[in-house]
Amino acid sequence: MVAVIFFASCKSDEKKDGSSKLKVVTTTTMLTDLVERIGGDSIQVQGLMGSGVDPHLYKASEGDVSKLFNADIVFYMGLHLEGKLVEVFEKMEKGNANTVAVGEVLPKDELIGSEYFASNYDPHVWFNIGFWKQIATHTMEELQKADPSNASFFEENTQKYIAELEALELQLKETIETLPKEQRILVTAHDAFNYFGAAFGFEVVGLQGLSTATEAGVQDVQELAKFIISREVKAIFVESSVPKRTIEALQASVKSKGHEVTIGGTLYSDALGNKGTVEGTYIGMFQYNVETIVNALR
Amino acid sequence: MTSAQIEIQLIASLVAMACAIPGTFLVLRKMAMISDAISHSILPGIVVGFFLTEDLNSPWLILLAALTGLITVFLVEFIQKTGLVKEDTAIGLVFPALFSIGVILIAKNANDVHLDIDAVLLGELAFAPFDRLLLNGADLGPKSLWVIGAILVLTVALLFTFFKELKLSTFDKGLATSLGFSPVIMHYSLMGVASVTTVGAFDAVGAILVVALMIAPAAMAYLLTNDLKKMLLLSVIFGVVSAITGYWIAHWLDASIAGSMTSVLGILFLLVYLFAPSKGLISVLYRQKRQKVEVHLLTFLLHLQNHEEESERHVKHLNEHINWREVRSKSVLDLASKNNMIVIEDQIISLTPKGKEFTSEAIKYIMTNKSSAIEEMKDRFFLFRG
Repeated sequence: MVAVIFFASCKSDEKKDGSSKLKVVTTTTMLTDLVERIGGDSIQVQGLMGSGVDPHLYKASEGDVSKLFNADIVFYMGLHLEGKLVEVFEKMEKGNANTVAVGEVLPKDELIGSEYFASNYDPHVWFNIGFWKQIATHTMEELQKADPSNASFFEENTQKYIAELEALELQLKETIETLPKEQRILVTAHDAFNYFGAAFGFEVVGLQGLSTATEAGVQDVQELAKFIISREVKAIFVESSVPKRTIEALQASVKSKGHEVTIGGTLYSDALGNKGTVEGTYIGMFQYNVETIVNALR
Repeated sequence: MTSAQIEIQLIASLVAMACAIPGTFLVLRKMAMISDAISHSILPGIVVGFFLTEDLNSPWLILLAALTGLITVFLVEFIQKTGLVKEDTAIGLVFPALFSIGVILIAKNANDVHLDIDAVLLGELAFAPFDRLLLNGADLGPKSLWVIGAILVLTVALLFTFFKELKLSTFDKGLATSLGFSPVIMHYSLMGVASVTTVGAFDAVGAILVVALMIAPAAMAYLLTNDLKKMLLLSVIFGVVSAITGYWIAHWLDASIAGSMTSVLGILFLLVYLFAPSKGLISVLYRQKRQKVEVHLLTFLLHLQNHEEESERHVKHLNEHINWREVRSKSVLDLASKNNMIVIEDQIISLTPKGKEFTSEAIKYIMTNKSSAIEEMKDRFFLFRG
């Protein structure tokens, strides 16, 4: 069913003006998946970023211009996730375009803020399933406003999706229960999993800062290596949109101190897996991440 | 074509023109890399602007960036004037210093804010049509179109007003001073324009494209002409043509617009570098080869003039005596007879009156050390060049 929706809705812009379908542009692969689930084949969804793309470092291509130009509505995460694209969308909104920053609807006091500058929040909100449900509802409302004729269809899809998300949350909690509490430590290359950690009781340690543009210093690597040894962490993780190099440096550093730590696998952080695969959906990605983490740490 | 596509091409063309004009003078003054330097050295301006306003979108950041650009120019000029280092060395000393001040300021005070040049200066041509100038709700078109348009008008106005002064101070500083206008002021005005253009165009199209549009078209024009007016015109044309061609290649490949434009500039430059009529690589190689054959010809003619005896003038003898390979001796013989400088009877070569005249004149020039006059003489004597 999901796969059918994918293929039906992600055809390229062939019937740009001929069809009466609502034209929706999304930024990250998570949002593309979400909007496709809610809109089904009654809308035409075009995602700007492919799988494995770091939203901070995304470079626009010429085709994006016409996608954005012809869009009826644009969904983006906001909270500075998409770097300077956010600024573009804000400017488009000032013109007559309809752009929606779905991350901005979340209550700010529940978000994890920056240490130094209070107005900057951690944008990786999709790792909190509760937030994702709120985002789904908000997205549905915006779609209903843009295309009232399909309002009940969107409603139906959203309810079905939220039910799936609730089932997912239960299932993930069950999986995580099999892992002893003191082993729930997640070491990755960048701090994308803070919300995940808070929601599922993991201690999250990232090697890089929030932005993937800053590089880890030698001292950071050394300190994290000491931490891994003292807490007997079994595995550390690579992320799909961040180069492997830094986490391998960390592994080497642990080894040089006479301990072993394995690389537990590649986690999906800023982008989903390839379209058409199980990890190409939000739910599949989440299951894959949790299974990878639990299996490697057990 | 959608209006967004037209606007992108329009902005790109204006940027190309606005960059080509100061770019031409920068290339002539061997300061082409100043635009690259400015694109880096503006970082501390942006950082200080952020600390003052705490707002990544404040126009102060861009104003302070332009100001840092001017400071870069002053510092480069100052170091260069000491005469201890060359222009490019001075540039290389100044911009890393300024850039690293910016990096240290960020690392010390704002490590977890996404503060870098890219975040403040938008620098993505693809999104330029979405940043509109609105006045009382009326849409006046993309903002960067207005910014770049204003910079271009200013640049062109300055160019027309001070063309003579610019030309003189670029090519002959001494004469400019003695005619009563200061080349220093001209220099700073030019650098000021370059700095403002760089920062303004940076916001519209991004750093790499600005550097490429300032240097590549001017460098191409430089290889094609020695006339300043033609050079300016050519670099504007090259810039605009590359911008529009690059856009359509990006459209066709669905690739980055700035990347495609820069690639077109690179390819065009390579073509000009190879095929330019007088300064191109191929024509230089061709001329060197011709020069070589003609020097051989002259040696050969001198040999003939010095030797009345027939044994020295036998065709076969050439190979042994002057020790040329057969092929070359044949090409020299052909050239000489084609130009009616020698006649060959029964394998014996003799100079014609024209050949004699040519040889004695050439000797005269060589003796009086006026070898350059030989080129002019060749034009008079040769029906065919080597």
